[in-house]
Amino acid sequence: MRWPSKFRMFFRSLQHRRAEAELDEELRDHLEQEIASNVRGGMSPEEAQFAARRLMGSIALQKEECRDARTTRFIETSIRDLRYAVRTLRRTPLFTAAAIVTLALGIGANTTIFTAIENILLRQLPVRDPGQLVSLNWGTSSNLSYPLYLALRERNSTFSSLIADRFISVNMSLQPRENSLVWGYEATGNYFKALGIRPLLGRFFGPNDDKPGATPEVVISDQFWHSHFNADPNVLGRSVKLNGYPFTIIGVAPPSFSGTELLMTADYWVPMSTEREIKPGSNWLRSIHAWTIWVQGRLKPDVSLGQAKADLDRIAWQLNRIYPNTFDSKAGFSLPPPGLVGNALRQPITSFGMVLMGISGVVLLLACINLAGMLLARASDRRHEMGIRVAVGAGRFQLLRQLMTESLLLAIPGGLLGFAIAESACALFDAWSPSFNVPIGAKLHPDFAVFGFALAVAMVTTLIFGLTPALRVTRIDVIPSLKNEPVSHRLRKWSMRDLLVAAQIALSVFLVIASVLVVRSLQHALSLNLGFNPNQAVSLSFDLQGFGDEYSRQFDRQLAERASALPGVQSAGVINALPLSLGFANSDAISRADRPMPKPFEMPEAFVYNISPGYLRAAGTRLLLGRNIDRHDRKDTARVALINEALAHLLFKNKNPLGERVRLGPNPADKGVEIVGVVETGKYRSLSEAPHPAVFLPIAQTGTAWTTLVARTHLPPGQAIERLTKVVLDLNPQLAVTNAGSLKKQLALPLFPARVAATVLGIFGVLAMVLAATGLFALIAYAVARRTREIGIRMALGARPSQVLSSVLRRTLVLCAIGIGLGVIAALAAGRLLSALLYGVSPHDPLTYAISVLLMIAVAFLACWRPALRAIRIDPASTLREQ
Amino acid sequence: MGKPTDLVQGTLDLLILKTISLEPMNGWAIAKRIAQVSNEVLQVQQGSLYPALHRLEHQGWIKAEWKDSENNRRAKYYALTAAGRKQLKSELENWRRLSGAIGLVIEC
Repeated sequence: MRWPSKFRMFFRSLQHRRAEAELDEELRDHLEQEIASNVRGGMSPEEAQFAARRLMGSIALQKEECRDARTTRFIETSIRDLRYAVRTLRRTPLFTAAAIVTLALGIGANTTIFTAIENILLRQLPVRDPGQLVSLNWGTSSNLSYPLYLALRERNSTFSSLIADRFISVNMSLQPRENSLVWGYEATGNYFKALGIRPLLGRFFGPNDDKPGATPEVVISDQFWHSHFNADPNVLGRSVKLNGYPFTIIGVAPPSFSGTELLMTADYWVPMSTEREIKPGSNWLRSIHAWTIWVQGRLKPDVSLGQAKADLDRIAWQLNRIYPNTFDSKAGFSLPPPGLVGNALRQPITSFGMVLMGISGVVLLLACINLAGMLLARASDRRHEMGIRVAVGAGRFQLLRQLMTESLLLAIPGGLLGFAIAESACALFDAWSPSFNVPIGAKLHPDFAVFGFALAVAMVTTLIFGLTPALRVTRIDVIPSLKNEPVSHRLRKWSMRDLLVAAQIALSVFLVIASVLVVRSLQHALSLNLGFNPNQAVSLSFDLQGFGDEYSRQFDRQLAERASALPGVQSAGVINALPLSLGFANSDAISRADRPMPKPFEMPEAFVYNISPGYLRAAGTRLLLGRNIDRHDRKDTARVALINEALAHLLFKNKNPLGERVRLGPNPADKGVEIVGVVETGKYRSLSEAPHPAVFLPIAQTGTAWTTLVARTHLPPGQAIERLTKVVLDLNPQLAVTNAGSLKKQLALPLFPARVAATVLGIFGVLAMVLAATGLFALIAYAVARRTREIGIRMALGARPSQVLSSVLRRTLVLCAIGIGLGVIAALAAGRLLSALLYGVSPHDPLTYAISVLLMIAVAFLACWRPALRAIRIDPASTLREQ
Repeated sequence: MGKPTDLVQGTLDLLILKTISLEPMNGWAIAKRIAQVSNEVLQVQQGSLYPALHRLEHQGWIKAEWKDSENNRRAKYYALTAAGRKQLKSELENWRRLSGAIGLVIEC
């Protein structure tokens, strides 16, 4: 508190005291004059005093009414209410703490979830008129090909501009031997103008740079400018090497802009036409079937989404006639907001967000219901007190105001604590960095609007439920409540509150089952058959983009040889993309070469990997049939392939596939590759996927850019990585080694959704359990309090403690049973939803269900313990005397 | 002396203002004066008197001052303010009109 206001408070309290003292003196003065006058009239002093007092009536009441006549009245009584409320709440610390914590958890959870949703799902890109921007998705694909983009840009009549971009990594080298792997965009020339971004420094590239052979220019992000160039204004014109090719820095983007994806932050932008310089030999810019770019469009001002979609669908239909089978005719365009990789990320994040919002909303509801229950129980405890206050002259309004003050005194600290919880949850999120190498750009800042909403809900709840009991107590007659007669004589039926407690138990059982299932499946994940053995193996990745296929074939061969010769390394091999790592793996349509080509969209897809001969041993993938690829499989020998069991079964049923040929891709003239071996089926994209076809081609016949070296070793991972990195850099000092670590660590990405789900479900499960426990506690405490007299009589008549206990707990046990039953049923029903997150654990795993149910029973027991004990410790004699 | 007559709502203010228009008085003296002048018919209850005084003071029609009383004790004396004088005038007019009208009705 600042000094002026402190002074004011002090002064005000002085004034207040003086006014009180004067009032006392005035009334005393009056009494004395009356007595003196009575004595003058001939009464004895005692008689005079008595008569005067009788005439005067209640001095306290008069003082009260005199205070009423003053203005400061409202503030004074509020302060008094506040003091009284603090005193009463302090008398019941358990109740107070439970209520505040309940509220805080509800508010904290909701503020966090809403903040996350607002910052990720509802945030718009920091560009001009972000509402006009849409992302172009065809069916389930969020990618299009560059020629299709050009055709759409030329033919559409509904977009003021269409831009295309692609998020890729490059080896950026500022000086010789100073390389880093950085992420950024290849973008079309109209990119910055369409987005309405102005450079912080220098200029951006423009439409002229779309032409092949444009001078290679690069724009860097503000953050990169600070971290790598120390914010040097002379950075413009400097040359940096991207994958070994020199680019000139022409501009710096403003700090607010880090690209058109919300979750990924870019460090650079280059014109898409420089793809040939960055990756010599790449030809997707010319292939209509290479769907590798993201397309976003800015709608013309008066165009609706429906019109734009119809326009695009019409163009797709036209293009399909010119280039057959370009678009799958069963699908159509969809135009979600940009920023989350079209539909690819937006849909899963949205559905997960909806589930979380639902759960957290229910948690807030439960918190409010609990609070209401606690306030109700408390109100019944306080009937006596209220009766006394009414008897000494408290008005109905005064009682209401008093109880409302108490409610607010719970809501405000609850709200503040809730905000603190949300703030630290968001800080945790920001501090957390996922162990995969794409730069994550989302930051959560607790939103005051959301917090205000949650706090308002809590305030309204506490006021309503704080007031309901207040209305009830103020309606009661003074006499029976002072005599402590029971509130109600009729037997209580199942009330709303009972059912709500049962619902709480059901929800918490459900959440606990879900989280235990996910946790158990996480434990299980590492013992799954992944198609490779993650134990005692390490991997590291680097990017050979820009060095050419011939170089990469040479490099990979030398690397594998040198790595496996290292002491402590049993075997080493390379693969273009490790299964289960972030998707650089290709997939292609696959068909038998000895059969006619099926229609393009009816061919099965197989993942296509490029491997060196040592890979299978290094990764621990078992060869089931035939031979491994070896050093005799070269560019100039017959093209061969390994397939996995799933593919063998799919194409050849039970026939021996060795010696058969398969075609990769939609070219009917392709004679295909010969199958020389069959390997076990593993997991490639996610741990929960069904067996999926895969093909392994010799790297010596294909070449690759992105490369992962895998080595099987007994050495500690750190030491092994160090030695392997040295080998890589000895071969080529320009490379940036990334993603180095044990194979187990590389599983972080596929396990990421499950980890998030387990954490979130676990937190909510515990939350729901705490709430269910406080709800049960309040319910039973309430029941015992109102039945104290009845229990006293029963005991006086000879009821044994066990009988009392059963009469108190019977209803609760029934409630628990109903709640647990409903929770189990809900979990069984939701099993299918959960199965996407579960690996190797049945969604109906009996052990999980048993653990969860036992946990809930234990919590219920703990919650009932104290009030039940209070019931059997009731002393019949004193209870009956009291009444 | 029968049961003290309840004062008509609002007339207490008028009686207080009129009584202290002659000279500043303390609460007890005001009550006594009203009783005396009305031949003990109007008994002002203390329960009404002091809240009324505080209300009038808050409205700015009367002002209070601590003075030494005859028996050498400090007592709170109430006196009319200028606004109070104006208020007294208008309330008196009101009362005369009202009582005259009531008189006309019940005397005919």
